[in-house]
Amino acid sequence: MALFGSDFLKKLEYLSLVSKRVFRGSLMAQRRTVQLGSGIEFADHREYTPGDDFRYIDWNLCARHDELLLKRFQEEEDLHVYFLVDCSRSMAFGAPPKFDFARQVAAALAYIALADLDRVAVTAFANDIAADFPLTRGKGRILSLLKFFEGLSAQGADTNLERVATGFVHRDQRRGLVVVVGDLYDPNGFERGLDILRHRKYEPHVVQVYDRYEKDPPDMLGDVEMWDVESGSSRKVTVTEKNLRQYRRLFDEFQDRVQGYCTRYSLGCTRTSTEVAFDELILRMMRQAGAVR
Amino acid sequence: MSLANPTALLWALLVLPVVVFYVLKIRLKRVPVSTVIFWRQIFDEKKPRSLWQRLRHLVSLLCQVVLLGLLVAALAEPFFAGEATTARRVVLVIDNSASMNAADGGESRLARAKAEARQVVRGLRYRDEMAVVAAGAQPRVACGLTGHQKTLRAAVEGIEPTDGPTKLADALALARRLAADTAGGADCRIVVVSDGCAEDAAALAAGEGVRFVAVGAKVANVAITRFQVRRSTIDPIGYEILAEVTNLADEPTGDFRLAVALNGNTVDVKPLKLGPNGRWGEVLESTTADGGLLTATLVVKGEKGDEPYPDALAADNTAVAVLPKREPTPVHLHSPGGNLFLQKVLEANPLVRLTTSKELPKEYPAGAVKVFHREVPAKLPPGPVLVVDPTGGCDLWTPGEKIPSPVVTQQDKDSPLMAHVRLDNVLLPDARRLNFTPAAGKPLVLAGAATGDPLFALIDRPEGKVAVLTVNLDLGDLPFRTAFPILAMNTLGVFTGGEGELREALPTGATAEVSLPVSAAGVSEYLLRAPDGSTRKLPAGGVKTTLGPFDRCGVWAVVPNAPGAAPVEEFAVNLMNKAESDLRPPDGLPAVATAAETGLVGGLSGRPVWWYLAGLAGLFVAVEWYLYQRRWIS
Repeated sequence: MALFGSDFLKKLEYLSLVSKRVFRGSLMAQRRTVQLGSGIEFADHREYTPGDDFRYIDWNLCARHDELLLKRFQEEEDLHVYFLVDCSRSMAFGAPPKFDFARQVAAALAYIALADLDRVAVTAFANDIAADFPLTRGKGRILSLLKFFEGLSAQGADTNLERVATGFVHRDQRRGLVVVVGDLYDPNGFERGLDILRHRKYEPHVVQVYDRYEKDPPDMLGDVEMWDVESGSSRKVTVTEKNLRQYRRLFDEFQDRVQGYCTRYSLGCTRTSTEVAFDELILRMMRQAGAVR
Repeated sequence: MSLANPTALLWALLVLPVVVFYVLKIRLKRVPVSTVIFWRQIFDEKKPRSLWQRLRHLVSLLCQVVLLGLLVAALAEPFFAGEATTARRVVLVIDNSASMNAADGGESRLARAKAEARQVVRGLRYRDEMAVVAAGAQPRVACGLTGHQKTLRAAVEGIEPTDGPTKLADALALARRLAADTAGGADCRIVVVSDGCAEDAAALAAGEGVRFVAVGAKVANVAITRFQVRRSTIDPIGYEILAEVTNLADEPTGDFRLAVALNGNTVDVKPLKLGPNGRWGEVLESTTADGGLLTATLVVKGEKGDEPYPDALAADNTAVAVLPKREPTPVHLHSPGGNLFLQKVLEANPLVRLTTSKELPKEYPAGAVKVFHREVPAKLPPGPVLVVDPTGGCDLWTPGEKIPSPVVTQQDKDSPLMAHVRLDNVLLPDARRLNFTPAAGKPLVLAGAATGDPLFALIDRPEGKVAVLTVNLDLGDLPFRTAFPILAMNTLGVFTGGEGELREALPTGATAEVSLPVSAAGVSEYLLRAPDGSTRKLPAGGVKTTLGPFDRCGVWAVVPNAPGAAPVEEFAVNLMNKAESDLRPPDGLPAVATAAETGLVGGLSGRPVWWYLAGLAGLFVAVEWYLYQRRWIS
């Protein structure tokens, strides 16, 4: 069964129909673009300086107060939505693989954004930026986008979100919403990468994906050779019941850490297991944001 | 130190695969994980102990090698030379007599004795040997000398309770004989586990090399100590019961009753109440021609009727006796002139079926006792014959002249015909001298005159006994004496083979002799049937054999080995043993309270070397298991 089959597309259409201004609403955070320019919605006045367009001088005020003031309007511009999709090898873990789930979620959100006439760009990353889908606009671009997603594969060594974020923010692009989809298993900590995005005025939204066997590993007791699918390294260990209890505790602490970070900086955060269907997850996100028609 | 099984050392070669596997390391199950971030945190917490972690696998290998070494050494069964010389021989004597059935503490004394015996068996050291002797009605070796504890425990468990007396002296003699077979140097001990309820227990317990473990406490008991029945000597269908009940306690009994029943029908009930160590005895009389089983039971008044007397020992609360049945005896009286005295004395016997004739009959009733008064045939008929006042001769005698002074001066007091008969100085008028023919052999003179002439004689011929009494019943006062009916009844009793007389009830532990008849039906095998229904084969018929000792109370029967066959002989067996019924241990019994005090109940000491090695190996298994659980092979 193809990753983005006809069923998937039907679900996308359904999601776009039931959604209303997902990205400009309160889904990711309450934020509004304050670019001033040649819109029709009045914003404020400022003093005229030589070189300004005469057409925007408020002649009524000039006549009344004998003062040259320039009218400023709120510029209506497209929202830029960037998707940072983790394609490290750890995302290939699970049944179904977390990577498939992440791509479906990212594709669905991108489709909804395109349907709202927002601009969408996708960046796949692992230890560094692996692939890019440039900014695009319009629902007609969805097939190209899906093809891009299909062309991605799990690759790279340890996830390095800091390096990825650094490379991402140094691009010449407008600020916007950054949806990070991945497991956030960064040996150096996911916080530093998100910090960079925040500091550069991007608005990160975290979608953390995990497999149920990561939360509660089965068949691990005894002497085992533990093989890290991300780094390819292995180590022989004896896993006891106590170790399993410790593991579950650490995993829960990690989950809480992700949630705590997002709460502290008012970032959108969605944590989900791959057992949940992607469309259910999208609907849940929209319901939480009140973005369902 | 030597090895009993040195070839077992070859198992030490197993160390090679152990080391090889250690060197090669077994391929472990590969488990993919998406990240090792969390696992690293878990396992890196142990960093401070990393040296130990590195060594732990090596220690594990050493553990396995040592474990294998210990097991191999254990299989080789090492032993010290001194073990053989310090071996002990223990003879365990367990009392399984009747008193051991007393339940004075919830369980029976025998059950507690077995528990103590198991303790002693458990204390057996390696190379020690033990035998088990049961000191019941007939001391027997339940298990010969062996060091195998399982066999000994099975022998202890296999000792059955009995109602027999304690044969402690015999059991100790048997134990000493067993111990005497000991090889030189061995330590011999005899451990007696008993309640001490035996007449000579205190003296025997003080014997050399004897350790006495006492079980049972001081308990009150009321017992039927005597119970016998016999046919009355004056009443052909009467019988007398001798019963005795004893209170074997230092306190008085409550109200209770002795109920006597014949075949389930009440014969007599005696209300009783005995003081401390009190005793009641009485002869009870009753009549019946029918025989059967007499049962005496101690009962108390319960809510719905009589209930068994509730004391610690049940075996002596019931006693049985066999009352023989008296069969009717056909008697033919031939008297030409008739004699009222003779006829009436025979008719007075309820067991006699009397026929009379005045002329000599050609045939007599089958099996009848023939009584001839005055006239006798020329040849006496076969079978038992009583001749009174013979006037003529026959094939056994010819009549002579009258005896001048026919006063009885001598009497055979031992003969059953003269039992309870006193004819001293009784005049027997018209008594004639009898000249016995050679066919009469040597008659037994039962009563004789001063001249030595027989007045009452018994001739034992092959065809049957013949008793002859030379007296004119019409002239003397013999018919008016009580001796006359007794004499007639004794004669009939002897002629009928003594059936219906006393059959003594036996105490447990007694033996009896019985002649096994050759059955006409072709049955030649006989069984001895115990009161509980179990049977034991007896020798083939036609031999005299000894039965017993009887070790259970109740009725034992000799029955042909054929379904539904009637018993040939029955024996009533009762406890009737005051020493067994007295459940108070004798004073001065040098006993210890438990088996532990005998010094034979061991702990860990006394085990063989291989046992310790195996235990040590178990310890190393535990260590290796711990290491296996905790090990991190990096």
